Amino acid sequence: MSRVLLLLKKDLLVLRRSPLLLGVLLAYPVAIAVLIGMVASYGSSKPRVALVDEDNLPATVALGGHRFDVERTIREVGKNVDLVRLSADEAERQLRDGRVVAVVTVPPGFISTLRGMVESPQLRLQLSTGTISSRVEQQVQALVYQLNRQLQRAFIASNLRYMTLLLHGGDGSFLGSPISVLGIENARRILATMPPSPKRAQLLDFLHDARLALGNTDDALRSTAHPIELVRVQADGRTWALSAEVQAYALGLTITFLALLLAAGSLAAERDENVVARLARGLVGLGQLVWAKVALAAAVALALGLAIAVAFGVVIQVGGITGGEPWRRLPLLVVGLVLAGGSVGALGALLGALAREARSASLVAVLVVMPIVFLGLIPAEIVPLAGWVSDLLPFSHAVDFFRSSLYDLSPWREVALQGLWLLVLGAVFGGLARLGARRLLA
Amino acid sequence: MSAGSPLLAARGAARTFGHTNALEPVELEVWDGEALALVGPNGAGKSTLLSLLAGALGPSAGRVERRKGARVGWAPQRPAQYGRLSARENLELFARLEGEHDPRGAAERLLAEFDLPDEAAPSANLSVGNRQRLNLAISLLGDPHVLLLDEPTASLDPDQRRRLWARVAGLRERGGAVVFATQNLEEIELFADRVAALREGRLVYEGAAGEYDRAHVETLSA
Repeated sequence: MSRVLLLLKKDLLVLRRSPLLLGVLLAYPVAIAVLIGMVASYGSSKPRVALVDEDNLPATVALGGHRFDVERTIREVGKNVDLVRLSADEAERQLRDGRVVAVVTVPPGFISTLRGMVESPQLRLQLSTGTISSRVEQQVQALVYQLNRQLQRAFIASNLRYMTLLLHGGDGSFLGSPISVLGIENARRILATMPPSPKRAQLLDFLHDARLALGNTDDALRSTAHPIELVRVQADGRTWALSAEVQAYALGLTITFLALLLAAGSLAAERDENVVARLARGLVGLGQLVWAKVALAAAVALALGLAIAVAFGVVIQVGGITGGEPWRRLPLLVVGLVLAGGSVGALGALLGALAREARSASLVAVLVVMPIVFLGLIPAEIVPLAGWVSDLLPFSHAVDFFRSSLYDLSPWREVALQGLWLLVLGAVFGGLARLGARRLLA
Repeated sequence: MSAGSPLLAARGAARTFGHTNALEPVELEVWDGEALALVGPNGAGKSTLLSLLAGALGPSAGRVERRKGARVGWAPQRPAQYGRLSARENLELFARLEGEHDPRGAAERLLAEFDLPDEAAPSANLSVGNRQRLNLAISLLGDPHVLLLDEPTASLDPDQRRRLWARVAGLRERGGAVVFATQNLEEIELFADRVAALREGRLVYEGAAGEYDRAHVETLSA
């Protein structure tokens, strides 16, 4: 054990004397994390959608006594999609080329059908065949839902005006033609002046009931138009950049990159410096040499991981972010950092043993780290094979450990499970690295 | 230590690298107080045999025996040290790994004996000669009974060569032994008791240094 510590001390000293290498090792994963963040944000970016206006939509439309600002409605849509006005031919061409992901067509006669309030006008939606098209369809459906809500309000208001006319009488219009209505109130007044008779009494009873019924029509109409209404409440949470997900991924990515590269490079460097043979002749066993590299990876992962967690915590505390940083969970995070660093370090040692030269080992580690990370980012529900392969690598277990240890209300079961995964994977990769380390003597 | 058995012995020890036979089975013994020179052309198997005797390589066949309690020091042909550590740090680290009681004292002593620069500069920045001196100094840590030296004087100046052979003589006087690979006939004549000649991985000659004529060496080296 003391020999492992002697080598670990030596490796840390060597690392401290390589500020450029250390700087690059720190900056690179941060840069990659930012790039992944940017790529991930594309998933929520605005898709480009063509609007083909074959009805020459006016700037405003009057419906049921309401004025609709068409331009403002289009601007509202623009919050979710990048809506561009195109001709039908151009839209068709750009849809084929993939420059727009969907085409929304307003057919001729749309507004007049809408004004008629007799039948529903139609919007036509054409979608490209891609994974993003389903999201665009949802957004266009949401747009139509919003428009329908606005129209419902107008139609209800219009219907209510007819009800008022039926109740109180007066002048109005129907399907564009002027009408004059006596109204229930006026009818009752006229009937009251007539001589009493059973038929008069029947008519007065009917008018009384009709008046009461129409008087309640307002609320009934509104509630049947919206049996369930969804009201969005403003949340008081963290921004995405300070979320548990980002913190867990930042830790996982940085540690995976550093531990893999350091363990692979430093083990192969022992052979480059011709020292491995001197050590292997009884001073330090090959197994001890491998575990020294695993310890190096774990130590660096611990130091760097804690630094990242503390930096997150300080930003969250200073910014007064809701929930604060879970400082009391840091000891649990320490366990995860050591396990993750060691497990990834064991994989790195295996790469170093197989590559045999420090340059090749570093190159292989850099080439391997990206697929490992991306496999961990692909949801297993979407690509099960990626999930199974990722289960055999430490990255996703490390991320799950960090996320759970920092933010789960009761993290113990998840932490134990992921910790066991990391331990087993570390032991397996370490054992394989020990076998592979014989190549360093050849 | 029992003098009834050799300090070191190769018993049919052989080594292959992949499909290449680097060393055919070799029988060789190293006894107390003797100096054995390994000679032969490049690629003959001298370094492989020294690595087997040092325990740095395991034999593919046969075995290497070491007398119980015998300590071995090894200076490979290419210096084996950490380039990012200074000469002193290298010596202290290997002294600790060798189990020296006073690692700092041992480092201090060897720095002076080999006239090594005691600077914080990494050893990778040392001259070729100084790196070789550090390589030799490391091989002396742990008070070895047998020294295995692979072309030890190749990069040393005459003064350092003289110091090295003086040190080897001191070791032999104390009952220790030295096995050294060399291409230098003068070193064989001056410092070797016995000669083992290798060619294409096979031991082709083993005998007293005095019986080993120059013509034979020249034939082997051709």
